[in-house]
Amino acid sequence: MWKTLGKAVAPILRESLILTPENVLQQQLRTTYILKRRNSPFLNKNGSLPKRLKAKHYIYDLVEDTNVNREPDMNVILTTYVAGLGDVGDKVAVRPNYAYNKLLMTGQAVYASPENVEKFKDYQSNIEEKTYSSATSQRAVDCLSRVTLSIIMNKETPWVLKPWHVKASFRKCGYWVPEETIVLPTNPITGPNLELENKEFFVTITVNNMEKVNVRCKIHHWTTEVVDRLPHEKDFWKKKLDPVFSEDAAILAELTPNKGLNADQ
Amino acid sequence: MALISRGFSLINRIQLPAVTQVREYAARKGTRDKRAKSKVKVEVEKVGFIPHNQRNREKFLLSRPKRKFDDSWKQLPIDNVYPQRYYQWRVYPFQEAILCHRETHHPEVYNKPNSNVHITIELNMEGEKKTRFVDNFTRIAPMPNGFDHGEQRSIIAFTKNEEYQEQAKALGATIVGGLDLIREVQNGSVDLQEFQFILAEPQILAELVVLRGVMRRKFPNVKLGTLDMDIPAMVKKFMNGVNYTGIKDEFEKDFGIIETVIGTLDMNEKHLEENFASLVEDVMKAKPKRPGQFIRRCLVTSPPSREKFKVDHNLYLQQEHSETKSKTEEVEAVAAAN
Repeated sequence: MWKTLGKAVAPILRESLILTPENVLQQQLRTTYILKRRNSPFLNKNGSLPKRLKAKHYIYDLVEDTNVNREPDMNVILTTYVAGLGDVGDKVAVRPNYAYNKLLMTGQAVYASPENVEKFKDYQSNIEEKTYSSATSQRAVDCLSRVTLSIIMNKETPWVLKPWHVKASFRKCGYWVPEETIVLPTNPITGPNLELENKEFFVTITVNNMEKVNVRCKIHHWTTEVVDRLPHEKDFWKKKLDPVFSEDAAILAELTPNKGLNADQ
Repeated sequence: MALISRGFSLINRIQLPAVTQVREYAARKGTRDKRAKSKVKVEVEKVGFIPHNQRNREKFLLSRPKRKFDDSWKQLPIDNVYPQRYYQWRVYPFQEAILCHRETHHPEVYNKPNSNVHITIELNMEGEKKTRFVDNFTRIAPMPNGFDHGEQRSIIAFTKNEEYQEQAKALGATIVGGLDLIREVQNGSVDLQEFQFILAEPQILAELVVLRGVMRRKFPNVKLGTLDMDIPAMVKKFMNGVNYTGIKDEFEKDFGIIETVIGTLDMNEKHLEENFASLVEDVMKAKPKRPGQFIRRCLVTSPPSREKFKVDHNLYLQQEHSETKSKTEEVEAVAAAN
């Protein structure tokens, strides 16, 4: 019975209509293990037959298993703008899996082979009016839009809010914002004014002379003597505050920390 | 089984060999050693009660975060406005770092314009060999633009030159003298233990050797910086200079740190920069003779602000090694002549 079954099934197997393991695994196995002999073999004289290796020469120590090594980054040339990587025509190095699945398959990039490098040498963006200034500018804008900046000002000395105060406050919380990029509200904010403690305003930051982002700000009054200091406010950014200038109320309501905040929070 | 029973029944008539094999010669050395080892009594040490937070100290220390800082894997910023956490630390020019601190200490903000300027220097304490490390060192760095460090320093200076004696006294040395001072010390009227620093010039070194036993580690030598021809400059350095210690981490032995104050925020930025330069130069004198960097990173801080600004120390490294070499040769030559 088995003989006839084999004779009947054989042509089907030959035609590969049934997926058997032998039919599927036709690929080359590219696994390389780097080994080192524990006992060095004999040196051979020139011209003589090589000496026979003994059993001890076939004992190896594993030096490197290439399967577990990290694959080197792959170079690709972008054909579209990709946030975080670059603009059209940029040659970037990314992980091979990411390059294949997200860039090459989607058509956002091509392999950086010598022919492609030559072909895409002068490849530039066709878009006349770019909405992005660089690969990382959008990330900077996103981060800043979520910030509620705490501006520390003195409780005793009279002051007028200037761009350098805002720049220093940004620097303290980990943002590099030069003075030229900061635009303060049109009406000056002076102090010390304790009514400002429960009020908010916004400043406009310009990234790369292109993208603009409004950042919500709050003034805290500080004094050197610990005794005279105002009590610590926990999670001040979660509180819904009144605007310093009533005309800004609409814009302040739109700023991300304010969305979803209740008046009583 | 049948064989053994038969053996027992025959034992009265025939002397059969014993079941166990007994050798007439000594066993193999390895076997003898094993036997001797198993006979040695291992004394179990009685360890007392260890509180829960002190147990498994080695395991805890292994998982401690490394104090060495490395952000070379991060990118450099390309935009003019950016969140600093995604990029390498910004390297400030020294004067800009001071101005940034002045912004936060301004009367309109923190209102502390005269707070101290602290310098933190992180070191690579690897010695000539990778497993040997530099010892903790305490040095005095000369400050070209003085400031009140608040320490009281007692200095005794030995010099034959009358002019130098006057100048040293004017600069603030506690006692200055020549051969007569050496005699006083030998008499016992002057106690050397009272003094922190003992300075001398090479010309008087021959006579000073008599007191070597009393002075011990404080004996003037070039390495410590206490042996030099220019006495007034040395006195000035030890009076006004900044005393700092390079301490290596007890677990992470190749990481060392120096924390000092080099001035106040209301001093001129250029003066502070000169002070910083001389501190860096002095730190490099304690460098071990091996290739590779000694100073990993320099940070400028000013409390009560918690901001740290990274400063490039490489701008202030300029042929220190050749300078010190020539100096030692000079001093040795003079000492030999006398």
